Amino acid sequence: MAQDVKPTRKNLMQIEDRIELSERGHDTLEKKRDGLIMEFMDILDQAQDVRADLEDTYEDAQERIDMARAMDGDVAVRGAAAALKEHPEISTQSKNIMGVVVPQIESTKVRKSLDERGYGVLGTSARIDEVAESYEKLLEQIILAAEVETAMKELLEEIETTKRRVNALEFTLLPQLNENKEYIEQKLEEQEREEIFRMKKIKANKEAAEKEEREAAREAEQAATQ
Amino acid sequence: MSPTTRTSGESSNYEYVVARVRARRAALFDEDDYRKLVRMGTSEIARFMEETEYEREMNDLGARYSGVDLIEYALTRNMAKHFEDLLRWAEGGLYENVARYLRRFDAWNVKTILRGIYSGADAEAIESDLIKAGELTEATLDRLAAKESIEGVIEGLDGTIFHEPLEAALDDFEVEELLVPLENAVDRTFYEKLMEGLPDAQSADRATQLYLEFLRAEIDFRNLRNALRIARSGADIDPSEYYIEGGTLFDAEEVRQLAGDTDQLVDHVRDSEYGEDLEAAIDDLEAAADLIGFEHALDAALLEYADTLSYRYPVSITAVLSYILAKEREIDNIRAIARGRESGLGLDEIERDLVML
Repeated sequence: MAQDVKPTRKNLMQIEDRIELSERGHDTLEKKRDGLIMEFMDILDQAQDVRADLEDTYEDAQERIDMARAMDGDVAVRGAAAALKEHPEISTQSKNIMGVVVPQIESTKVRKSLDERGYGVLGTSARIDEVAESYEKLLEQIILAAEVETAMKELLEEIETTKRRVNALEFTLLPQLNENKEYIEQKLEEQEREEIFRMKKIKANKEAAEKEEREAAREAEQAATQ
Repeated sequence: MSPTTRTSGESSNYEYVVARVRARRAALFDEDDYRKLVRMGTSEIARFMEETEYEREMNDLGARYSGVDLIEYALTRNMAKHFEDLLRWAEGGLYENVARYLRRFDAWNVKTILRGIYSGADAEAIESDLIKAGELTEATLDRLAAKESIEGVIEGLDGTIFHEPLEAALDDFEVEELLVPLENAVDRTFYEKLMEGLPDAQSADRATQLYLEFLRAEIDFRNLRNALRIARSGADIDPSEYYIEGGTLFDAEEVRQLAGDTDQLVDHVRDSEYGEDLEAAIDDLEAAADLIGFEHALDAALLEYADTLSYRYPVSITAVLSYILAKEREIDNIRAIARGRESGLGLDEIERDLVML
């Protein structure tokens, strides 16, 4: 509330400084927001491609496993899957996109060669190889999608936060500071006018008193000469 | 073979077994049955099966499984029952010849138990996936499934053909912590024992010669599949490590050389004795690199070959062998139709890709 601010020159100067700082911050945040949006659009395109690839890979893997379950039997497919206990290793690092920390997911041991999949080569079919291969590919796509979509989510959150800050500066803080500035300026002008009026009044009183003194002295002089 | 398996020194009873096998073969599903099945939904297939040969298994397993799982388990249990009957009926040399081929199910069961224990599955889950159609008895398999460690299973197989190769592969398993060496040891043992103890082609009678030819073809096709799979995978694997002795298509050195170059490998097959039978499949393989289609063609060629043999020497092991393959094919076909319908494959797709009518 403007009325809560003391209308002093010191406060006016402080408010002017804050307005300048806020305007600079507003410009910077606007640039950051625009930059983030551009980065987000790039990642969005990438995420859409990754998601489309993921869906294709999933459909392909599903089709292959359906065929393998039909031709080799569900028990054979489950058996081949049970022949491997080792899980792929996933490690996360982070990278910085315009101040936003996004994860970078590294995976190892996802793609396996024929002799690393656990099941024996002599007693299985090429169909099982194809299913294993397509699920390894699917897992890679899932990891990539997780990385890209998490980055997208983090960027989106940062864009929202930056947007809120820009809006807060633009529609709340700066108008309030400007209002305070105007209020103080008005008050100071008013005080100045009052001061001038007061000074004029004092001057007029002083002049009137001097006039009275002069008239009294003249009258006294006239009375002495008579 | 072991205390858990049957040995026999009696003379063979071909006439009796072949007569019973012919009756059973006649009861297998024919093309009309398949045509009906591919037009049915999964529940209709289950109902259809309840009115056929599979009625008993469908009823027995109905409380435990449902949907296509019920169909699949009923099919394998029925197949196991039929193959057990073959072993029960056969005597002497016939028993030995049938048993050596049906040991593929022993190999399957041993691998299933190893996988189950390796992945921490409970004994009941392991037992449900066993196909009790080989020489190992149900009690032996149940005892093995209840073991708590891989070492325990290998110990429990003492006296069987799988014990020594598995013990030899145990070190590799412990180093790599992967089942590959153990599974390969089991499968290699099955294939290597296939022809062990059979007479030479020169000294054998004509029926045994054809049986030997069939087994050789099976080994050749297995070597061919492995060489193609290794070549296609691009993995740094020595193909000769997976080579099985007994075939005529190539030796270990040839496999090593050919697996690096698929074109050369395909040319080698084209020029071999199988070239004519596999001509169309080889063309497809060259055109589309479709290994699955090629494997399909190898299965079909083997089935056709066994069929031809059974007509040429009706009262011999070949008739039994042909029945075993035909029964397996029936199981594969019904399962393929049921699973295909379950996953929403179209009629044409099922007929084209899944079922060999």
